[in-house]
Amino acid sequence: MIANAEPVIRVNGVSRWFGSVVAVSEVSFDIMPGITGLLGPNGAGKTTLLRMMTGLAATSTGTVTVFGEPVRDNPPLYKRIGVMSEHETVYGFMKGREFVTMMGSLRGVTDLEDAVDRAIGLVDLADAQHRSMETYSRGMRQRMRLAATLVHEPEILILDEPLNGADPRQRVHFKHLLHTLAEQGRTIVLSSHILEEVEQVADTVLLIVNGKLAASGGFRAIRAALNQRPYHVRVLCDSPRKLAAAVVTLESVDAVHVDPDGALIVLSRNVLDLQIELPRLAQAQSIGLRRVEPLDDSLESVFGYLVEN
Amino acid sequence: MIAVYRLTLRQLSGRWRISIMTVLASLPVIIALLMLAADDAPSVEEFETAILGAMFAGSIVPLVVLAIAAAAFGNEIEDRTLANLTISPVPRWKITLPKLLAIISIAGPFIAISALLTGHVAFLGEWPATLAVGVAAIAAVAMYGSMFVWLGLVSTQAIGAGLLYIVLWEGFFSGFISGVRLLSIRFYAIALMHGIDERRFAHLEHVPLSVAIGVTLLVSGGFLYLATLKLRRMDVP
Repeated sequence: MIANAEPVIRVNGVSRWFGSVVAVSEVSFDIMPGITGLLGPNGAGKTTLLRMMTGLAATSTGTVTVFGEPVRDNPPLYKRIGVMSEHETVYGFMKGREFVTMMGSLRGVTDLEDAVDRAIGLVDLADAQHRSMETYSRGMRQRMRLAATLVHEPEILILDEPLNGADPRQRVHFKHLLHTLAEQGRTIVLSSHILEEVEQVADTVLLIVNGKLAASGGFRAIRAALNQRPYHVRVLCDSPRKLAAAVVTLESVDAVHVDPDGALIVLSRNVLDLQIELPRLAQAQSIGLRRVEPLDDSLESVFGYLVEN
Repeated sequence: MIAVYRLTLRQLSGRWRISIMTVLASLPVIIALLMLAADDAPSVEEFETAILGAMFAGSIVPLVVLAIAAAAFGNEIEDRTLANLTISPVPRWKITLPKLLAIISIAGPFIAISALLTGHVAFLGEWPATLAVGVAAIAAVAMYGSMFVWLGLVSTQAIGAGLLYIVLWEGFFSGFISGVRLLSIRFYAIALMHGIDERRFAHLEHVPLSVAIGVTLLVSGGFLYLATLKLRRMDVP
């Protein structure tokens, strides 16, 4: 649909603060056609950034342009943009089809009935389209909202946490749908706080932490950076001191200590190696392993590491 | 525009709002009937001042309109559905105007029927007087509606702020301070009644009918403009 070297969306030196709280700080990036994932922990500023990218919120400083035009206070641009916010509220008094029809009508869609049929078909909700949205499950509401976002066939899709409430089958369907839309040349930006969710769909990742752009680029590069970060791993075994003496000789291990409660804490920069070597060592020393668990595998610690490095 | 108009009609036609409007709109008719049935029925002048001026134009009309107009945007901001409208490729006035028209469409019939019945009962079926009350009431709906639509956009406490305005400004200060009267919607609604039928409110001083019509248009259009401006500049949740 679009074959253009110019960025579709350009975010240039954008900041946004609410009183003394800085939600987004000096963020700049370009978005090209394809799927871009906006990744970050809860409260990182993803939604504020997306709202500024859609013109729903003003920037405190900096500019956001879409197709070279300022997005703020520029209603005609919405003919080319589809936005699905994170809020799941729907008009409970409306049937699903009525909602999509209304959104199509607001966007000046010609041949409205066909467009509504197509959009509802895309999200696989034709059977439920004549039911009140009040009776929908959370996942169904999200899908019908997606249908309303797609009804005018926008060139850009901006989706804030679109997989909230979706069951595994719906997630698979949604990912297929996104890939199909991206193959048609559309520009898709979706946000998530779940690493794997973005990994499965996005070609490019923008990592937002504490309102700042912590990393950007292909997912593999970010994954590689994640794999090199030091991990604390807690090991429960029959003989922690004996295992500690053996483990410390491994190249992948930076430090080892034994907790007062008898657990072995291993600091490793290469968890993949450690995963392979640790059971071998234990077997060679006839030590029984009871439990091996990462201590700092939360998304926040991952993001924290990337920000520091 | 039609889509926003229809949506607003459905949003604001809930059972409790219709019930509140029915009760409020019935009050002037009931009180007018009771007054007429009483042995010491009030004079026309007393009736105009108490029922049409203070109660109808100064309380019932703004309360009925407030019950729906403040929610026209207020509820959408609260439940975060306003973005559905603002991410549409339509100028903002095509959102605010149909909202106001929907408010007039809902509140208008209640107010008009109440005004016509009250006028008919009070003025013993005299049609010019009844018509004057009806037209002035609809004009007041447009003015109050526009103001409360704007209020719903600028304040999260639009109902409270609107009630304060009705009680303090329209009800209290404008009744006692002559300067304030000139800045009250009630004053121009009464001036319209007088302009259409000069025997009504003949005991009060009024601005000419043309001025009353001009102010009606200015207030309705002015607050609609402010609401449109606010919608363009605000952060939509």
